[in-house]
Amino acid sequence: MAQAQGFETDFWKDANLRKVWDDIVPGEPRKSIPYTLTREAIELYCKAVGETHPIYFDEAYARTTRFGGLIAPPAIHILLMFACTPADDWMRSPGTVNAGQSWSYNVPARPNDVITLQARALDKFIKRERLFVVHDNVFFNQRGEVICSGRGWTIRPR
Amino acid sequence: MTTGFEALNAGDTIDGPKFAVSGESIRLFCDASLDYNPLHLDDDYMKGNFGKTHFGGIIMHGMNNFGLISRMITDWAYPLGALHRRLETRWVKPVKPGDTIQPTGVVRSKQVSAKSRWVLIDVMVRNQAGDKVATGEAMVEFPLD
Repeated sequence: MAQAQGFETDFWKDANLRKVWDDIVPGEPRKSIPYTLTREAIELYCKAVGETHPIYFDEAYARTTRFGGLIAPPAIHILLMFACTPADDWMRSPGTVNAGQSWSYNVPARPNDVITLQARALDKFIKRERLFVVHDNVFFNQRGEVICSGRGWTIRPR
Repeated sequence: MTTGFEALNAGDTIDGPKFAVSGESIRLFCDASLDYNPLHLDDDYMKGNFGKTHFGGIIMHGMNNFGLISRMITDWAYPLGALHRRLETRWVKPVKPGDTIQPTGVVRSKQVSAKSRWVLIDVMVRNQAGDKVATGEAMVEFPLD
């Protein structure tokens, strides 16, 4: 299994350490951890969504393209969100429901990039009896270049 | 390729890949995304109520829709020498094991900025019954170089 080293897959385990909607302070940074994106992790993501383009798999082909080498699919931030956050991050609270997301892409993530995340809750509100939090995220590579930035709307468990 | 942008018209359609959703595909997405929320793993947990929402069983990750739409956009854009620059999505309806979903896109407009060219695409994912499960907008850049 190509899981991140020591990744806790039981999201109940640290549930009591995580912030509930009431504790989340918009504007306050979330803890994050650097993550080395491996070729194996990219290939596993590709398998899960059926990506087959050679730009993600074939180094010789990738060198002939404008990218000059292998890249990860733009939506690799789906993995990075969990890979770059610790087990007590509130995004892992069981019952967190994703309502929608928007992402802007700058430079591609590549195999062996050491990726960091700057993230925070940006807003929280109650709508139709649901507890919402808006989160705001920017992923950087080891050169400080922005890979992508995005915002998500989640409904928090009560 | 610089002819791709000129040849496009509002209303042009993009057909994305059909995707069969199963317990196994959802489990694989857990491993690939590291998102092990019990929403996607635990049928017993999902028999409970979530406020006013009742799912009745595990649901696919919303971001699986997002990944499929993004796959459709990149597979369309790369051969045209274009770049996937933005995607915004909203989830309309849960997707469950046994469903088959398919993203599609429709070119809404072409725009030219000071330094580049852009195509705006309305995207949508439907299930086998034709129900909309996700909607959104994508932005693809056709660089001048």
